[in-house]
Amino acid sequence: MLRLRGREYGPDTTLVMAIVNRTRDSFYDNGATWDDAPAFERVRAVVAEGADIIDIGGVKAGPGEEVDAEEEKRRTVDFVAAIRSEFPDLVISVDTWRASVGRAVCEAGADLLNDAWGGHDPELAEVAAEFGVGLVCTHTGGLAPRTGPLRPSYDDVVRDAIDGTVALAERAVSLGVDPRSVLIDPAHDFNKNTWHSLELTRRLDEMTDTGWPVLVALSNKDFVGETLDLPVGERLTGTLAATAVCAWHGAQVYRVHEVTPTRQVLDMVSAIRGVTPPARTIRGLA
Amino acid sequence: MIVATAVCPHPPLLLRELTGVQDVAADLRGVCESAVSVLLSTPGLDRIVVVGGADTSRGEVSGRVPTRIYADAARRGPEAEGAGRESRPPTAEPLPLSLGIARRLLDSVAPDTPVEMVTVAWDASAEEVERVARAVAGRAERVGLLVMGDGGARWGVREPGHLDAASVDVDEVVRHALADGDTGALTALDPEEAADQMVAGRAALQVMASAVVLGGTSVGSELLYADAPFGVTYFVAVWSCASC
Repeated sequence: MLRLRGREYGPDTTLVMAIVNRTRDSFYDNGATWDDAPAFERVRAVVAEGADIIDIGGVKAGPGEEVDAEEEKRRTVDFVAAIRSEFPDLVISVDTWRASVGRAVCEAGADLLNDAWGGHDPELAEVAAEFGVGLVCTHTGGLAPRTGPLRPSYDDVVRDAIDGTVALAERAVSLGVDPRSVLIDPAHDFNKNTWHSLELTRRLDEMTDTGWPVLVALSNKDFVGETLDLPVGERLTGTLAATAVCAWHGAQVYRVHEVTPTRQVLDMVSAIRGVTPPARTIRGLA
Repeated sequence: MIVATAVCPHPPLLLRELTGVQDVAADLRGVCESAVSVLLSTPGLDRIVVVGGADTSRGEVSGRVPTRIYADAARRGPEAEGAGRESRPPTAEPLPLSLGIARRLLDSVAPDTPVEMVTVAWDASAEEVERVARAVAGRAERVGLLVMGDGGARWGVREPGHLDAASVDVDEVVRHALADGDTGALTALDPEEAADQMVAGRAALQVMASAVVLGGTSVGSELLYADAPFGVTYFVAVWSCASC
């Protein structure tokens, strides 16, 4: 059972989390939603496409322009408040590792803190508990924020991801976060080489078997690009293939750039799994 | 003696759980349920008999609605809407499709209505049709007959039997016969031509015609539906004995 913004979702319900970057330099969109107007348009567009959650980020995940906490707040807090005002029912997530930013966006109306740097700031979970919001617990393999992998190695990357994220989830619950609002994320590419991310995808059922709702962020990432030898901008098909496998294994939330194709893949896999019916079946039944 | 009849088609898609999220056959099902309601409300019925096509002619047929041979959807989804009311044990043999659809319609309109179910072979000869008709008509003094039969399936290039213009002719004959209460036109349907046009209801409709003729009374008729929304022609009609 997953609970976000007071709504409960059964384990077979899949949710699309649309990425909305308030950055100048994110790898995929290159600052397309840096300005307010296109950022609002992006939110309206993804909501119209059926996004269940939006994930607002003020700092590029990879190395780049220095963004301190005050600047990160400038980029996200008022935007969260404005989106909350325009979309009272929309689940708003903010991608941040900083407790001070988390506190400010929760005050502005955020429902979920996407701690993409896996507990780097331990106070972030306390903020989630204080405001009664959800928390994404991410496996970064010990990587510091905004750093890239250099020869990461694991005896068993899946075991490491499970142990790390479940420990973060249990800690969050011990601090008072509603266990129904805690997700775990194996964090493809984060301190992982492509082999690691492929293995996490292949064995994602071991993560879903923990019972914690699993979030996956696969969209256009390097493990897709390296697997297919394709640059950013040509990775949608590979992303969707990975999405299908994760859906087959029971992941529940999908952090994506492209909403409509993701939704179609999730609905298709859901029907193949037999957990939702197809939309309209006539063939051979007349 | 047959005092009232209802004619309904028997496509699997009348089973709500087989068409997914969208209830594509809601209108058709509604008309069928109306026809069954009219039949069941006929005053003084001693018995209700269902006749539908199958591989062989048999009496006293029983079983469950055959959803699961069309889709594993029977385990989930909107199935509960209809199937939950079915009284047949899940381990029972599946009914032939024609009778299974009848069972579902009857359960939707009046759950647990006692009925007798018989089949007539798709390729039944005139003699076999006559034998089944006599058996049906003789079941009681006042018999209500639910007839399950489809029209042709060769109306167009995308349809199950591909295009054959003759399908239009056979379906037109049936349509007029059902609208006019014309037993003779139904009896005169050519089995080979009907089979060629994939008219699955030929034998069942002829059982109805012969059984009604045995009563020797005139027929009031109403055609409620005649269309081919998914490539197979469906008819819904009700007949009643004008002087019974």
